[in-house]
Amino acid sequence: MAFLELTNVRKSFGQVNAVESFNLKVERGELVSFLGPSGCGKTTTLRMIAGFELPTAGSVQINGADLTYVPPNKRNVGMVFQSYALFPNMTVADNIGFGLRIAKKPAREIKPRVEEMLALIHMPGLGNRYPYQLSGGQQQRVALARALAFSPQVLLLDEPLSALDAKIRVSLRGEIRSIQQKLGITTIYVTHDQEEALSLSDRVVVMNNGHIEQVGAPFEIYNFPTTEFVAQFVGTLNTLSAQVQDVGDKRLVVDGQAIKSAHALEGARVGEKVSISIRPERISFYSEVQKVNRMECAVENIAFLGSIVRIQVRTGANVFYMDTFNNPFLELPKLGDKVQITFSAEAVLVLRQSA
Amino acid sequence: MKKTNFWAWLWIVLGAVYFFLPLYGTLDFSLREQRGILSLLAYQNVLNDPHFRNSFAFSATMAAATIVIGLLLIVPTAYWVHLRLPQARPIVEFITLLPFVVPAIVLVFGFIRIYSGPPLALTNSAETTNILLMFGYIVVALPYTYRSVDAGLRAIDVRTLTEAAQSLGAGWFTVLFRIIFPNLRVALLSSAFLTFAIVVGEFTLANLLNRPAFGPYMVLLGQDRAYEPAALSIMSFALTWAAIGLIQWFSRGAQGQGQLAGTR
Repeated sequence: MAFLELTNVRKSFGQVNAVESFNLKVERGELVSFLGPSGCGKTTTLRMIAGFELPTAGSVQINGADLTYVPPNKRNVGMVFQSYALFPNMTVADNIGFGLRIAKKPAREIKPRVEEMLALIHMPGLGNRYPYQLSGGQQQRVALARALAFSPQVLLLDEPLSALDAKIRVSLRGEIRSIQQKLGITTIYVTHDQEEALSLSDRVVVMNNGHIEQVGAPFEIYNFPTTEFVAQFVGTLNTLSAQVQDVGDKRLVVDGQAIKSAHALEGARVGEKVSISIRPERISFYSEVQKVNRMECAVENIAFLGSIVRIQVRTGANVFYMDTFNNPFLELPKLGDKVQITFSAEAVLVLRQSA
Repeated sequence: MKKTNFWAWLWIVLGAVYFFLPLYGTLDFSLREQRGILSLLAYQNVLNDPHFRNSFAFSATMAAATIVIGLLLIVPTAYWVHLRLPQARPIVEFITLLPFVVPAIVLVFGFIRIYSGPPLALTNSAETTNILLMFGYIVVALPYTYRSVDAGLRAIDVRTLTEAAQSLGAGWFTVLFRIIFPNLRVALLSSAFLTFAIVVGEFTLANLLNRPAFGPYMVLLGQDRAYEPAALSIMSFALTWAAIGLIQWFSRGAQGQGQLAGTR
């Protein structure tokens, strides 16, 4: 049996279903991210696990116990908030020890535990400071330590890095992951940042309009999206309109140029218009490498993004991007140049519409 | 620029003269009890009067009770409205403004009519009348107390702090008394000083409920003596200003902290 289990969970606000048909099993020690755009229901689902929202239907079970109607202060679930939510009237040490004091742990246990937590978040000796004396990153570290100090059975993180600047975000997410793995705590991480979700998680739950679009390992989610929404939302994706030419041979036509897909064209008819997707990084210049598909395009724009260069090309009505790694000796085409691009049959995904 | 400054200062000076001149007149008059010289005799007479001490002690005690009971009633209410009933906020705000619309005399006659007979005959003894008077004071001070608490609650992220405390195992009582009350320190102090100033100077409720409060004492003194009421006015004025000064002082301390706090 899974450690955390959500079964047929639904949450309605009036006539609006914020979350529906939500089923998920999370194993002990796993870090699962809820990824999706604003309003997709990821925070509502997290709040139902925390006990701040009651599900309209369905159940929430942790370690075999049904906690659906258990109040939040009886669930033994730690939570980290986007806005840190440190108690301004308490020092860092008092904040971290708050849960332990509520649990009526003796002072001789609280002090070493607080010290242990301060060491875990690399802030030893800062226990006497007040929250307003700390930077945003430090405050969020303290919030994490506070949520972990009382040894909760599940850790919930609600967009914990959103209020921080980019550099701190990257370093802190690495710390969160390493602390989570060190403690082996079952964790649910809510984010709208795909990079965060992909880099941190054992599994990612991609959500849209209150339901799950796809659940899978980051590699699977990125490389094998099963719906158009997932393909569009996770990473940059080129979507091209194509026409089915041969179902058995998996051949399609894009603006008069024939291409081949390695994926079955299930249920498609010859002549039918479909959407296909290709990741920008899977497209190369034919002059550099030769793959099964070759197309002629015109260069429309070149954007330098640091480690990669993104080239916008056009063929007929379809405009799409290709990415190439930056290096000092890279010879880039000029705007308006005709270039031949190439990609494998595996890179061409035929998308079904989201539910 | 200079022209603007001149007019601005002129209006400030005129306003200050309009305000301070009568005050100066009262102060000057209060010092002239001894013919031909300035003295503090009127102040001495007031301070040596046992009625002054008793009535002030009574009002101060009533003010303390009003502050404690009022805050215990208003803070949880305002907190709950912020947390769970934000749609009810306009209604609650309207109710808290009623003491401005309904005069104290209407309130006290209502009290006398309802609480002079069974089932709640509170006016039958001094102790229960004091309780009635205290609740009357709570109503009179409500617009100020509620606004002060409401402003304090708006300045902190009530919902997230509550949820953070709950996720750490805290119940409602702990959330309220260990998280919300301490973080409303400045708002509560402001409210307390305002309530103190209101209660100490209040006349109508205490007079009609026949309690030996400071407000009726001041009026009574004004009927019998010439210089002492002026001295009392100055003392009362100083007390009010001291309360306002303390509010300012505490608020100034909190502003610095508020700018640095990271809970928003």
